[in-house]
Amino acid sequence: MSGAILSTHGLVARYGDFQALYGIDFHIDAGEAVALIGANGAGKSTFLRAVMGLLPVAPDMVRMGGQPVGGTPADRMVQKGVAIVPEGRRLFSGMSVQDNLRVAVDQADRLGRKGGWSLARLHQLFPILKEKARTPVQSLSGGQQQMVSIGRALLCQPRVLLCDEISLGLAPRVIREIYAALPEVRAQGTSVVLVEQDVGLAQSASDRLYCMLEGRVTLTGPSGSVTRDAIGQAYFGGSHAVA
Amino acid sequence: MTMVSMMPPQVRIRRQTASGRIALALFVLAVIGLAAMPWWAKTGTIRMVLELCCYVAVAQMWNMLAGYAGLVSVGQQAFMGASGYALFVLAQTFGVNPFLAVFLSLLVPLVLAVPCYLLLHRLDGPYFAIGTWVVAEVFRLVASNLPLVNAGAGMSLSVMKDYSAFQRNIAMSLFCALLVLVSIGGSYWFLRSRFGLALIAMRDNPVAAASQGVNVRRLRFMIYVAAAVGCGLVGAVYFMAQLRINPPSAFDPMWSNIAIFIVMVGGIASIEGVLIGTLIYFIADRWFGEYGASYFVVLGVMTVLVALYARTGIWGMIAARWDAPWFPIRRHLVLERDKP
Amino acid sequence: MQWLDALVQGILLGGMYAQYALGMALMFGVMKIVNVSHGDLVILLSLVGISLASSFGLGPFTVMAALVPLAVGLGWLLQKAVLNRVVGEDPLPSLIATFGLSLALQNLMLQIWSANSRSLPGGGIESRSIQVGGIHIGLLPVIVLVFAVALTWGLDLMLKRTRFGRALRAAASDVEAASMTGINPRAVYAAATAIAVGILGFAAVFQSLRSTVAPADGGAQLIYAFEAVIIGGMGSVWGAFLGAMVLGVAQAIGFRIDPGFGVLAGHIVFLLVLATRPQGLFGRA
Repeated sequence: MSGAILSTHGLVARYGDFQALYGIDFHIDAGEAVALIGANGAGKSTFLRAVMGLLPVAPDMVRMGGQPVGGTPADRMVQKGVAIVPEGRRLFSGMSVQDNLRVAVDQADRLGRKGGWSLARLHQLFPILKEKARTPVQSLSGGQQQMVSIGRALLCQPRVLLCDEISLGLAPRVIREIYAALPEVRAQGTSVVLVEQDVGLAQSASDRLYCMLEGRVTLTGPSGSVTRDAIGQAYFGGSHAVA
Repeated sequence: MTMVSMMPPQVRIRRQTASGRIALALFVLAVIGLAAMPWWAKTGTIRMVLELCCYVAVAQMWNMLAGYAGLVSVGQQAFMGASGYALFVLAQTFGVNPFLAVFLSLLVPLVLAVPCYLLLHRLDGPYFAIGTWVVAEVFRLVASNLPLVNAGAGMSLSVMKDYSAFQRNIAMSLFCALLVLVSIGGSYWFLRSRFGLALIAMRDNPVAAASQGVNVRRLRFMIYVAAAVGCGLVGAVYFMAQLRINPPSAFDPMWSNIAIFIVMVGGIASIEGVLIGTLIYFIADRWFGEYGASYFVVLGVMTVLVALYARTGIWGMIAARWDAPWFPIRRHLVLERDKP
Repeated sequence: MQWLDALVQGILLGGMYAQYALGMALMFGVMKIVNVSHGDLVILLSLVGISLASSFGLGPFTVMAALVPLAVGLGWLLQKAVLNRVVGEDPLPSLIATFGLSLALQNLMLQIWSANSRSLPGGGIESRSIQVGGIHIGLLPVIVLVFAVALTWGLDLMLKRTRFGRALRAAASDVEAASMTGINPRAVYAAATAIAVGILGFAAVFQSLRSTVAPADGGAQLIYAFEAVIIGGMGSVWGAFLGAMVLGVAQAIGFRIDPGFGVLAGHIVFLLVLATRPQGLFGRA
């Protein structure tokens, strides 16, 4: 696991009195795509928020290249090369598509992050964003908003991209369009963590997967070799399985 | 675990505690003691106690607004001045019995609070607070221009000369008892009622409370109006004792300073905090009041420090250590042992 | 002619109020907080400026050159030491903290400068005026208005065109999402407050040139700034500017009706706007 670009070790997180994560061990290597599946409330989003520094966690619980980074504020995590496409997209409403994206360009510039992503390349990936550059983000369709959110994260020039349910609420055609961009992202050497409700989609888009249930990892293995049954058990409970 | 019976566990709702019973007894004694002041206290003492009772009541009204309803006001002096003036007009200009006029004058804050709230509740978060200040300024400027209240020159309550010093002492003592009874006793009753439960739910999470059927808007409105009337009672009693009123004194923003200091230092969202804070303020005022400006600098800095480092105030720190509330408002579920 | 005169004087007065209002609109827009000591900071800066002018014999624009950087520093310090600890969903902590600060500042000024009213000697510009069609237009109020326009324009441009402006708007829209995009909210907040208080450095010089200042005057300036922001419509700097114009005109016309009615007329317009158009005259619904 020493080659892991990002890893967590016994990660616990809580909201006030409510404990949401019970010791998550997780790792992702450079260039890898890892899916995180599980039912609603399993703790997937909480896991991403905890990794991103949006929840208080102990330093040793999250490591990048072996260095403890747990609890580092989100803006400093961006500096270290982690970006997130958050749940609910969280665009800057009132600002145009262009300005939403430029915020990320500005900050990557300020933080000295260099990488292969530019506005021009993003426009190749999602041509609609060029067409709608001056449109306020709140008047875009859901799929277009998701593209802006992904674009904003990519322009942070991440080494690890965390994606929180990027297919949620979108039409199948749009989902295909968005997922079609993933190989391009990975071609840059960027590792991708995909939180996904759609198990089939998660399996086909990832190298490995983790299944979570009630704040714990109940299954982990190569996406190609875990069986439907194993996932079903891990997803809904029963004995812990490692395929 | 020994509980294996299929019967539902015996649960009792505990709403009173030993500390609460002691405090309640002391509270009743205090109210009686206040009412009986003419027989044990000198006029000077009564006047001092009256001031103390005014602080308690104004602070508790502010506490209900900011601590429970989430309405931060810096303009409650609007309603104190309004009913103070109403008292002077009724008693001095129209010859109404001044003691009766105290109660009649409460209609003025009651009526004024309604349109004020309907306007102010449109303001977002902190802007609400500044809005209440504008309202107080409007009241002051109107009073300064209104011939009915003798404009900027103010009024005197010379009809009080018709009563003997002892009669006035009796009235002041009864009003002291009433102020404490209404502000502390009234709030305690209100917080323990079903409104109180809704209020605490609302304070903890307005969105969730609304989804559970708590009518947040109506409850806020009720508290705003009730606090206006409460502050009106303080104003009428205070200015009756002062015998004089003019626009700067009637609408003095200092009352907001005092209320905020008392509640924040004593401990917001608790009746105990108001009592502790009042005591601290009162003692500080007696000892350090003569230092004038530098005293207020210290009060201001203390308020800042409490807001930054000790949001729950003194009572919050005490309550975190000892679970012995004087005015218990929470309900505890007590699991009873199976009895044969 | 009398009413035209009131209109002109009102707009010129609005130039003063706009300088108070810009900073308040900026701080509320970005952090959703109101600094209750906003007006007291104007007075503090004015009194410091007056003392500087009399100790070193400085002219008003030299005082301005000294005060603005001082104000920027003061704003930065205010954010770092106080406001960053109280920013959040709940408006109570920030209100109480700045309320306490206001009380402390007022009384501190009272001790240092006494309760007397003072003003800044302007070397003659405060009394010069030109006559246009029978209306006296003071040179100083025109300068104030020009500065107000320039500050509003500059602030608007900064918000729309610069990297920092985009970061500010992003943080105003969704602070957590902004931090996920690499923005350090605390640094952005500190800069926003530094700018907001920095603008008060200009306002302080003009306020003490135009009229007098005394330690207790801060509350009124806070209220005027607030009314301008609400009348204009929350959330835009030009809204605050136009709101200040409306407030100035209302006060000037009220003053013509009856000198005791001037300030009250401004409050009444504010309440009317709140009753009929709570999003502000120039705000989006």
